[in-house]
Amino acid sequence: MRDDSVPLALPLLRLAAGTSEVTTLYRELRKPLLRYLVCLGLTSDEAQDVVQDAFLSLQRHLASNGTQENIRGWLFRVAHNQARNRQTSYHRRFGEPLDGEMDFLADDATPEQRVLEKEKFRHLAAAIRLLTESERECLLLRAGGLRYREIGEVLGIATSTVADTVERGIKKLAEKCNV
Amino acid sequence: MCDVQEKLIAWLDHELPTDESAEVQRHIEGCKQCRTRLAGYEKVSETFDVYCDVVVAAKTRRRVPRWVPVLAGAVAAVAVMFLTFPRTRIEPPPILPTITAASVPVPAQPAPETAPRKTIHRRHAVAPVQVRAVKWQPRETAVQIAIPAEAIFPPGAMPKGMNFIAELSIAPDGSVKQVRLWQ
Repeated sequence: MRDDSVPLALPLLRLAAGTSEVTTLYRELRKPLLRYLVCLGLTSDEAQDVVQDAFLSLQRHLASNGTQENIRGWLFRVAHNQARNRQTSYHRRFGEPLDGEMDFLADDATPEQRVLEKEKFRHLAAAIRLLTESERECLLLRAGGLRYREIGEVLGIATSTVADTVERGIKKLAEKCNV
Repeated sequence: MCDVQEKLIAWLDHELPTDESAEVQRHIEGCKQCRTRLAGYEKVSETFDVYCDVVVAAKTRRRVPRWVPVLAGAVAAVAVMFLTFPRTRIEPPPILPTITAASVPVPAQPAPETAPRKTIHRRHAVAPVQVRAVKWQPRETAVQIAIPAEAIFPPGAMPKGMNFIAELSIAPDGSVKQVRLWQ
């Protein structure tokens, strides 16, 4: 695996403890964090709370001259741990059937397309329920744009383990979804 | 089975070192089976991404509390009631001297066109009613008085128990503006 593969996307050297930088980070990372937390199984309100707490922790972290390396991974890790504290069984919610909530997906689609789309998500949801917790978390973080190294930092596992876990998860989904 | 098969997803995610990435790319270009697998992985990854968005959108949409539509409906209903039934002023009851049927003040002026055509005979000459000055000025009819028929007609001329209603319109200055009499 390539350790120097990706710049961590954030101007860390410019990142002083000032609130303007935190505000910039908040604008940049709030949505990906919310998406990850909601997909983990938190409610929207819980996810909002966790994100706010994570950014408050970030401000304290920076004010106390904490490390400025990989702030994105740091934020995801803090949010991930808070989510785990709040909801020990959150992972079961992701992959729940979304019947009745799919109508807004394709307002301009034909009925046939809507049926196909619904069927596709139904298969995927069923496949997601077969993933292990680690596979699910790795795939969610990957979908959030995190690199393998960042995912490893968030989950506290090695980068090579992340690569194996992602590969296993994707293959499971591909097999169950017949693609 | 291709050797690079285990590296396809890492290659897709740009997680391979440069030399390995180039090797996998060369292999993919010449291996139809790996290209098919790669397309499947890409498709699953995209579908997973979209599914995440769907879940987030669905849960975010649920954030509207259930009582909001109820409250909105109640507000709309109240608004409709106000528009349909305009608010009317609650006015104090008219402050007028107590008038009994025997001392009905029937003005001398002729009855209005809507009054019944029966002749009214005054039985007793009574002093005009002195209307007390009041602070508020009634705008419309202020008083309705029930008058027994015996008080107007000679005994036996009308059936017993019949009453007439006199309606007095009060002018802004407190005087009697109009009297309407009906059965």
